[in-house]
Amino acid sequence: MKRSVYKSAMSHLKTREDFNEATYQKLMREMEKSEQNGPVDQTQYKEMAKMEKAKKKTLTGWTVGVAACAVLAVGIFAINQNGATKDSVASPTVSPSATAQPSQVVSEKPPIMGKVRVNIDGVITEVSADGKSFKVGDLWVEITDQTKLGSNEPTATAPSEELLQKEFKVGNIVSGFTSQDVASGRVTADVIYNNMAPAKEEAPIKGKAMVNIDGVISEVSADGKSFKVGDLWVTVTPDTAMGIDGPTAAEPSDELLQKEFKVGNIVSGYTSEDVGTGKVNATRIYNNMAPQQ
Amino acid sequence: MYNSFELNESVRRALDRYSQSLIKIAFAYLKNMADAEEVAQDVFLAYLQKRPVFENNEHEKAWLIRTTINKSKNMLKAGWFRSRNPVPENLSYLPREENEVLQAVLALDKKYRIPIHLHYYEGYSIQEIADILQAKPATVGTWLARGRMLLKEKIGGAEDEAFSI
Repeated sequence: MKRSVYKSAMSHLKTREDFNEATYQKLMREMEKSEQNGPVDQTQYKEMAKMEKAKKKTLTGWTVGVAACAVLAVGIFAINQNGATKDSVASPTVSPSATAQPSQVVSEKPPIMGKVRVNIDGVITEVSADGKSFKVGDLWVEITDQTKLGSNEPTATAPSEELLQKEFKVGNIVSGFTSQDVASGRVTADVIYNNMAPAKEEAPIKGKAMVNIDGVISEVSADGKSFKVGDLWVTVTPDTAMGIDGPTAAEPSDELLQKEFKVGNIVSGYTSEDVGTGKVNATRIYNNMAPQQ
Repeated sequence: MYNSFELNESVRRALDRYSQSLIKIAFAYLKNMADAEEVAQDVFLAYLQKRPVFENNEHEKAWLIRTTINKSKNMLKAGWFRSRNPVPENLSYLPREENEVLQAVLALDKKYRIPIHLHYYEGYSIQEIADILQAKPATVGTWLARGRMLLKEKIGGAEDEAFSI
């Protein structure tokens, strides 16, 4: 083996005869392409600038969007905070005998709302001998000189005698607020908003008249001023009103309201007396009419 | 930096001087002349595009060889190259002895093949090969020694002929 065999073999390897020329031509073509691409590069540069501008716009859009979201989030958070404050104040209104947290309630300035703080609310079941304390549910409430009467809220109406009576009576409906612990069972009222007597039961104004005398006359007294309907003897007195005087009532006719009570007549009326006694004076007679033939 | 004219001249000069060397190195790597020529063309294209500045001709040649090796490695890794089944290069036109030696070298692992090629064809020293391959000279020496030993086992030769290939 000669030392030049490998080198000789490599030297004898056949390559393309025009490799150099072909490669050179190829390189020149590539170079011309790159030179022609000069203006294209300018265009590309412009496109890149446009892209960067668009990116900036996108970034700005995102920034604005994120900022808007942040503002919304802060707003919602603030609203929720207010809601939480409202809840903490409004909760005593729901349950007057509930164990409200007085310290929390006192420390917070009541917001201007349609509601006032109420933790005394109910019907008076007992009143002390001096009339300065009353019991609502399980809570004894004491009225002192410091107790304010009536609401001093800016939108409150002036207290009326009807809604804020001076005397506390059993059965009165009372509402107020104390800053003391209502769970203690005895508190001093800070403010009394209402102290009103329960509404009296009045005859409801309806399309119907109150009737507790109704039926067919089975007997008539000798003087003709009393008659029997069922088991009830009804006496008509000079105070007995005749006819219906409601706003929608028709004019009484002789046919429907005969002056003479006769057996077989259909009669209807009302008495304020106890019909259970079997004998009453009629307060009003609506109808006294002969049966239809 | 070159202007276009200077670049043209430098590329043409490099082509004239180093094209055969680069083709042969790529061939030693890829064992296929067409691929080797394609790699060599890519190397000159990279020369044109990157426009490297060299301290001297040796620096220029070393850069070209390094680039050729890298591009050859890349081609070897390419999926299309690995998946194909190339017909072995026809070297029958070479004299029998040259053919044997060349086939023996090409049969070596590339880590021995390339240092042997650089040493026996290009005439680089171990240190220069180490610089080109970015390896330690001792490692290059080991590769050369093992490559020679493997070739000797295959080709044979006189005991005293140290550089018989």
